[in-house]
Formats: sequence, structure tokens, C-alpha cells
Amino acid sequence: MKSFQLFLAVGTLSLFWCGVASAHDPVFSPGPHVLYKEGVEVHVGAHSEKAGQEKETELGLELTYGLTGDWAAGIELPYASVEDGADKSNGIGDLRLFTKYRFWRKDSLGRQESAAVLLNVMSANGDDQANPPLGSGTTDALLGFTYGYESLTWYRWTSIRYRHNGEKSGEDSSGLRRGDRWLVDLALGYRPTFPVYLKPDTVWILELNGEKGQRAELNGSTLANTGGSEWFISPGIFWTQRNFAVKAGVQLPIASDLNGNQAESDYRAKLEFEWHL
Amino acid sequence: MKKLILLTAASLFWSATLFAAGTQYNLRVDGLACPFCAYGIEKKLIKTEGVESVTFDLEKGLVLVKAKEGMTLTEAQLKQLVDDAGFTLRSVSEQAL
Repeated sequence: MKSFQLFLAVGTLSLFWCGVASAHDPVFSPGPHVLYKEGVEVHVGAHSEKAGQEKETELGLELTYGLTGDWAAGIELPYASVEDGADKSNGIGDLRLFTKYRFWRKDSLGRQESAAVLLNVMSANGDDQANPPLGSGTTDALLGFTYGYESLTWYRWTSIRYRHNGEKSGEDSSGLRRGDRWLVDLALGYRPTFPVYLKPDTVWILELNGEKGQRAELNGSTLANTGGSEWFISPGIFWTQRNFAVKAGVQLPIASDLNGNQAESDYRAKLEFEWHL
Repeated sequence: MKKLILLTAASLFWSATLFAAGTQYNLRVDGLACPFCAYGIEKKLIKTEGVESVTFDLEKGLVLVKAKEGMTLTEAQLKQLVDDAGFTLRSVSEQAL
């Protein structure tokens, strides 16, 4: 049963990665920002989370390309380190492909309001036989909608995402399927000093992130100790200078309603660096 | 006579310098809300032939583009560049430098 629980836990980290040109989007949730046409974004980041005895850290390299001024796509290559008590694994995690299309934009002096849809596909290349596993062993997809308002002083965003998890195949685990998951986010940003081009710029961000997961299934039967909901309050910072950005934040649990006997999240943290080339 | 030649040469040089300085295009751009995002406009414009420099006044939504002498940027070209960067060009004015 423990291997089931570990399998079910894998994939949580991939929720961290919002995918696609996260410039001036919230730290833990997506916003509608994309990349300029023919632009390249190089993004490296470290994400960490702890829940009871489980501790996971993931390093990721993300490359994004601006297909048009409103449409971007990219790939993310993660390297994961997972600890569960005395057991440890390190290695390549599940590769992710993502795209975001900004379908609506309203510009005015010093303000931009926009909305976008996004799609992430998580492959099954990570080692799901490692102990603890490094990959989910399934191909999963995440579809989302996001809206954002940006001004020279205030920001606000909201997003909703749905993650569909595939069914695991293999001799020891056929018929096992992690529950699908809904994610909702609200975020507010504040820039304390007026921005000047080429000068350092700081935006403080506060997010409310909610997750609700369905129970996992094994050969059509639901597993008791799976699924449920968690809410986080997430302070963060976004610091930029010209084409370089640093983003950091921590997710702190404020409410938890997990089914059965499951370890509640202790914290999640994120640090990212981003270059626009 | 010598003085007159020198004076003529000096004034010719001065006017040549004046007209050799190129053109500044003042772009009023909507949607400019952060310096990090504005980099996309700089990147698109600076790659354009004849553009010497790009500066921003975010408060006024202004992008100031200096072009070399003899180089002309059309409004349609600038509109496309700004749109490709993810913003909206509201108006363009130009002045000789």
C-alpha cells in the first residue's frame, strides 16, 4: 500500500510548474502573460515541499518560445530528489510540454488586462519503479484558464485549472489511477516604487491557492486514503531588472480536508530565475 | 575671401551634422505596465535595421526610438513590431534630431 501512496504523491510537484512564460505572473499559479514573438525564455528553478515524512525537491530547466505575440510554447526538463523516511531517489523526472494562448487583451495607458488558456502535458518518462518513485508512470494533462490585470502599481490575477491523470499500466499496478484534480487561485500584487526601465523593479505578491483532488481508483474501487482538499496562503516576491527576473515564494497551509489518513502539507517553496533572450 | 571660405565650410559642416543625426520616433504604447515586459519591445525594435537606440518612459507610455539618418520606419512597421511584443501602438510622432 505504501508504494501506492508514493505513486499517488508523485505528480504533486508538477503542479508547481505553471508553464509558459511566467514573467510577471504569480509565483504558484499561472497568469495570462506570454512571450514576445520569436522571443526565448530560459527558466531555471527549484521547488521543494514537505508533507509528514515525505520531502521532495525538484530542479527544473524550462525553455519557452514565443510563436506569436500572444502564443507561446515550451518544454520543461525536471531533475527530482525524493525522500520518504530513510528511502531516497534522485533522477530525471517527468518531462513536460506546455503551451499558452492569450485570446483576449485590453491595453490602456500603463495598464494591461488579458486572459489566456493553457495546456500542459506531463509525460511518463520518469522512473516510476524507483523507491520512492521519480515519475508518475502515466501521461497526464492539465487544462487551465487565467485572467490578469496589471498596472504600474497593482496587479490581480485569477486562474482555474483541471488536471486529468492517466491510468497506470504494468504488472504490479495495472488499473491504478490517481484522482483528477481541480486547482483555483487568486492573487494580488503590489509594486511599492514606481518602475523605471533598466532599474531594478520589485513586486510583492500574495496568493490564495486551493486544490481539490478526487479519490484514486484501483481496478474501479476508490482508495480511502486519497484525495481531499487543501488551501494555502502564499506570500512571494518578483524582482526584475531589464530581461532578468527572480521569483520566490512559500506556500503555507491554512486549511486541509484530506480523506482518510494522509499527511498534511507542511510547506511548499519555490525559487526561480528567468532570462528573456 | 579666406574668411568667407572658412565660414561657408563651417556652416556646411554644421548643417551636415544637423541633418546627419537621424530621426526620433515617439511611440505612444498602451499596456506598458512593467519594465520586464517592456524588454520585448526593446528586443523587437533594436533588431530592426537603422534603429540606434530605444528608451522608455513607462509613466507616459512612451517608447522613444532613435533611427539613423536616411532610415525611415513606417507606422505600419512600428505597429507590427509593437503588436509582436504583446502591446498596442496608440500613436506615432517623429522629429528630426
